[in-house]
Amino acid sequence: MPFIEFKDVERKYMLGENAFYALKDVNLEIYEGEMVVILGPSGAGKSTLLNLLGGMDSPTGGEILFNGHDIAGFKDDELTTYRAWNVGVVFQFYNLIPTLTAYENVALMRDVRNNVKKGSIWEQESGGAEVLDPAQMLASVGLSEHMHQFPSQMSGGEQQRTSIARALAKNPRLLLCDEPTGALDTGTGKEVLKLLQKESREEGHTVVMVTHNSFFADIADRVIRVKNGTVQSVETNGTPKDAEEVNW
Amino acid sequence: MLIRKMWRDLLKSKVQFLSIFLMSLLGMYVFVGLDSEANGMRVYEESYYEQNGLADIWVQGKAFTDDDLRKIQGISGVIKAEKRLNIDGKALMPGDRELNMQMNFIDASEISRMLIVDGEPYTPGESGVWLDFIFCREQKLGIGDSIKLKADGKEFDEIIKGTFYHPEYVYFLPDAAAVMPAYGEYGACFIDSSEYPVRDELYYNLITADLEGVDNTGGLSDEEKGICQKAGEMISDVLNSEEIVTTNKNENLSYQTFHAEIEQHASMTYLFPIVFLLIAILGIITTMTRMTSRQRVQIGTLKALGLSKRTITIHYASYSFFLSLMGSIVGALLGYCTIAELIIGMEADAYLVPDMSKAFSVRAFGGIAVSVAVSTLVSFMSCRKQLAPAPAETLRPASPKNLKHSAIEKSRLWLKLDFATQWNIRDIMRNKVRSAMGVVGVLGCSMLLFGAFACLDTMNFITSWMYGELNTSRYQIIMKQGTPYTVTEEYAKKYSGQMIENAGVEFEVNGVKKSGTLTVYDVGNYLHFEDKNLKEMSMDGKGIAMTYKMSRTLGLAQGDMFRWHMVGDDKWHVNRISAIYRHPTSQGIAMSRDMFEGLEFTFIPDTVYTNKDARTDLDGDDNIIGVQNKDEMMDAFDSMKEMMYTMVYILVMAAVVLGIVVLYNLGVLSLVEKNREMATLKVLGFTTRKIRGILQMQNIWLTALGILLGIPAGMGLVSALFASMPESMDYIATYSVPSVMYTVAGTFTLSIAVNRLLSGKVKTVDMVDALKGQE
Repeated sequence: MPFIEFKDVERKYMLGENAFYALKDVNLEIYEGEMVVILGPSGAGKSTLLNLLGGMDSPTGGEILFNGHDIAGFKDDELTTYRAWNVGVVFQFYNLIPTLTAYENVALMRDVRNNVKKGSIWEQESGGAEVLDPAQMLASVGLSEHMHQFPSQMSGGEQQRTSIARALAKNPRLLLCDEPTGALDTGTGKEVLKLLQKESREEGHTVVMVTHNSFFADIADRVIRVKNGTVQSVETNGTPKDAEEVNW
Repeated sequence: MLIRKMWRDLLKSKVQFLSIFLMSLLGMYVFVGLDSEANGMRVYEESYYEQNGLADIWVQGKAFTDDDLRKIQGISGVIKAEKRLNIDGKALMPGDRELNMQMNFIDASEISRMLIVDGEPYTPGESGVWLDFIFCREQKLGIGDSIKLKADGKEFDEIIKGTFYHPEYVYFLPDAAAVMPAYGEYGACFIDSSEYPVRDELYYNLITADLEGVDNTGGLSDEEKGICQKAGEMISDVLNSEEIVTTNKNENLSYQTFHAEIEQHASMTYLFPIVFLLIAILGIITTMTRMTSRQRVQIGTLKALGLSKRTITIHYASYSFFLSLMGSIVGALLGYCTIAELIIGMEADAYLVPDMSKAFSVRAFGGIAVSVAVSTLVSFMSCRKQLAPAPAETLRPASPKNLKHSAIEKSRLWLKLDFATQWNIRDIMRNKVRSAMGVVGVLGCSMLLFGAFACLDTMNFITSWMYGELNTSRYQIIMKQGTPYTVTEEYAKKYSGQMIENAGVEFEVNGVKKSGTLTVYDVGNYLHFEDKNLKEMSMDGKGIAMTYKMSRTLGLAQGDMFRWHMVGDDKWHVNRISAIYRHPTSQGIAMSRDMFEGLEFTFIPDTVYTNKDARTDLDGDDNIIGVQNKDEMMDAFDSMKEMMYTMVYILVMAAVVLGIVVLYNLGVLSLVEKNREMATLKVLGFTTRKIRGILQMQNIWLTALGILLGIPAGMGLVSALFASMPESMDYIATYSVPSVMYTVAGTFTLSIAVNRLLSGKVKTVDMVDALKGQE
C-alpha cells in the first residue's frame, strides 16, 4: 500500500471571477522510505504539491491519503496535529528563527510536541515518538561547534544544516525539502544532499524534495515531473546515484 | 523557546516596545497613586469616624432643656442623644492676642468622642479644658498649663487637661469670613458644662444624636439620608417646634468638606489613566501590527513546523501581556510610593486627623488587570491578521498593498504641490494608523500641558474674581455675634462701608432639603453680582437671587418658586427666583436689606466692607472679631494653589514623557520603514538636509493637528476636573491666551526637538546596505 496517495487532486485560486489551477487532476503514489524528487520549472506547481503534502495548504478537490487517512478535508487544528507528528520541512532560505540560537531553533520542536493535541491517531501510529536531543541532532549534521550561534552568525550551509537538524528532531515520517540547495554553492549543496540521502537510506525516512534542478533526479528512488499544474510523468529509478556523484 | 524568542524580540525592538511599557507604567503610576491616596483617605475616614462615633444628626435650636433631650432620647430609632452649648469664643493669649476658639460646653462625650492625644480623657463633671492638638502645638501650650478663655463676653481660666483630635473638627474655619483653614491660629475646645462662667445663664443650643440604621461607612446612602430626615421631622414633632434645624453629615461642613475632597480625588483617578491607556493601545496596534507583519515568514515557519495557531497567538499576545504587566506593576509601586505619599502628606496639613496613610485598594489590582487585559487583547487583535491564513500563504511574501489614488492626488492642485508635500501626503495616507498615533500622542501631550496651564489660569481667575470683581472692598470688619444693628451702623458710617449679613438657610424642593447661605446686602458699592455668563448684573433690590450652582443642585431656574427658611427660625417662606448669579465659594441666595426686611426679618449685619484701613483703629475693639484685609485673604486662598501646583508638575511631567515616548517611538518606526526610500533619495542626489526637511515637514503637520485637537481636549479635561468639585464650590474653568501659546510652543519645541534628534540618523543611512535585496 502506498504511504502517500494523491487522487484527482486539484488546487485552484480565484482571481476575480477567473479560476486559476495551480494543480489539476494530480494522481501519484509515494512509498515509505523512498527518496522522491519532484522536478519542474518555476510555476509548475511543485511548491503547491509540497504544501499539500505537508498539510500547509488544503486542496480544493480530490483526496490526499497519508498512510490511509484522507487529510484533504482536515480542519486547521487537525492539519496542525498532522504536521506536528508527521512532517519535517527544510526550506530554501532555511527559515530559522533569527532570535534563537541553532540549539534553540532545534529545541523549539519540543514546544511543538508539548503544545499539540494529545491522543491523536498520528501519535498512536508513531508510537508517541519523542523529540530527539537537539545537541545530538546538531552533532549529527556536524554543527556541535556552532550550537550556540545565532543564524546571523552562521554561513548559509550551516543554517541549512541547522534547518535539517530541526526538521529531523521530531523524528518525522515525512521530510519535505523545498529547493534545499537553492541558496547554496555546489559544494555546500552537495553536503546537504548527502545528509538527506543518508536520512532516507539509513534512517528510513520518506524524503520528498522539490527542485528545478534535473541533476537531482539521479539520486532519487522515484522522480515525479510536473508541468503547468499537472503530473507529466512518474519514473522509478532502479539505481539511484550517491549524492557525492552528482554534479551541477 | 518561544519565551526566549519573545525576550530577544523585545530587546531587538526595545524603543518601540518601551512605549507600551512606559504608557502602562504612566497610566498605573497616576491611577494607583491617586487611588491609593483617595482609598487611604476613604478607609481612614470610615475607621476614624466609626472609631470616634461621629454623630449622625445635629439639631440646632435656641435653648434645649433636659426635658427636650429626654423626649429626643425617647424617639424610636434614636440610640443616643447629647446636648451641648456650641459657641464662638476667644482664647486670650499672652501679648493681648485674642484667638478664635470654638467652644463646646458638654455634659457627656459618648457621641462624637474626642480622640485624646495627650492628657487624661474627659469625664463628666470634671473641670479643665480639652483643646485641639494643633492649637496647643502651635501656641506652645502643654498639659497642666492655664489658659484664659472668653465665652459670651465672660472671661474665665481653665487648666488644660488634654489635647485631642475630634471627628467634628476634621475641617473647620475660624469665622464666616474665612476661606481657608490655618489651624493653630484658632482652635476648638471642650469644657464640662459646669464650668460655664455664669452657671445660671447656661443654655444649650445643640443636640447631637446617634441613629439606628446610620453608620459611618460608605458615605451617607439615600436610605440613611431618609432616616436622618425622618428623625429630624420626629424631633420637630416631639419638641413641638419648627424653630429647630436638623442637619445630617452631608450638611456638616467638616464631614462634607473632607468627604467631598475624597470623592473629588477618587473621581480624578480615572481621567488620566484612560488617556495613557488609549495611547498604549495605539502603541500596541502600531508596534504589534508592524512586528507581526515583519515576522510574517517566521509565523509561517512556526505554523509549518507544527505549532498551533493558539500557541502562536499566545506567543504574540504575550509581548504586550508581559510589557504591560511589568509597566503596570512598576507604575503602581512608583505611584503608591510617590504620588500617594505626596498628596496624602499635603492632605494631612489640610485636615485635622492623626496618622492618615495611603492604602492599596482592590481597584488598583483591578486597574492593573484591566490595563494588562486590554493590552493583551489589542495585541491579539493586531496579530490575528497574520495568523489567519494557511501556512503556505504566510510563507510567501505579502502581496503589495493595493494602492489607490486619494481624492487630493487626483485633483489639479496635486501637480502644483512640491515633491516634499506630495511625498508626505502619500506617506500619511498609506500609514494611517502610524500617523493617527502620532496625532493622538501630540494630542495627549498638548492636552496635558494645556490642562496644567488652565488649572493655574482657573485658580488665578477665582482669586481675582472673588477679590477683584465680586467683592471690591479692601477690608472687611467682622462684627461679633449679637452686635446690635445700631453699633454696626456706626462702624459703617465711620468707615464709609457697606453692611452685609451672612446667615445659614435651608431649602426644600420636592421633599429634598439642602443647606445653603444667605447674603443680605445694604446700600453700598463693594458687593457685586455677576450672572451665569459672568456679566455684571444690577440687583433691583426687590427679588431674591440664587446662585447658579445651588439652582442646578435644586433643579430650579430663574422664575421658579422655592421654599426656604433661616436657620434658627421656624417660619418657612416661598419665593420666586428673581435672578441667577454666580459665586465661587458660597452657594445659596442673596437679597437686599429692603427685601429682607420686607419679609419681616430684622437686619443684623455681621460684616462691614470698606476701603478704609481700620486695622490700627479697631485693634482690640470689643465689638469686632477682627479686620481682614484683601491681601491676607488672597494669600489664604493662594495656599490652596499649592495642591494645584503639585498637580501641574505631575501633568507637565506626564505630558513631556508622553510626548517624547510616542514621538520617538513613531520616529524610529518611520525611519526603519523609510530606510530604503531615504537611501533611494540619497542615491538620486537629495542632500541629507533636504531629506531631514521632508521628515520635519510631516512632523510639523501631525504636531499641528495634534495641538489643534489637544487644546479643546485639554479644555474638556479641565472642565471635567472642576466639575467634580464639591457642591459648595462653583469654579469656572478658565483658559488664557498665554496658556494656549505656552502649550503650542511647548509641544512644538518638544516635537521638533525629538524629530531633529531622530532625523539626524538620515546621515547614517547606508545607500549600499539599504538598497540590497530584501531577505
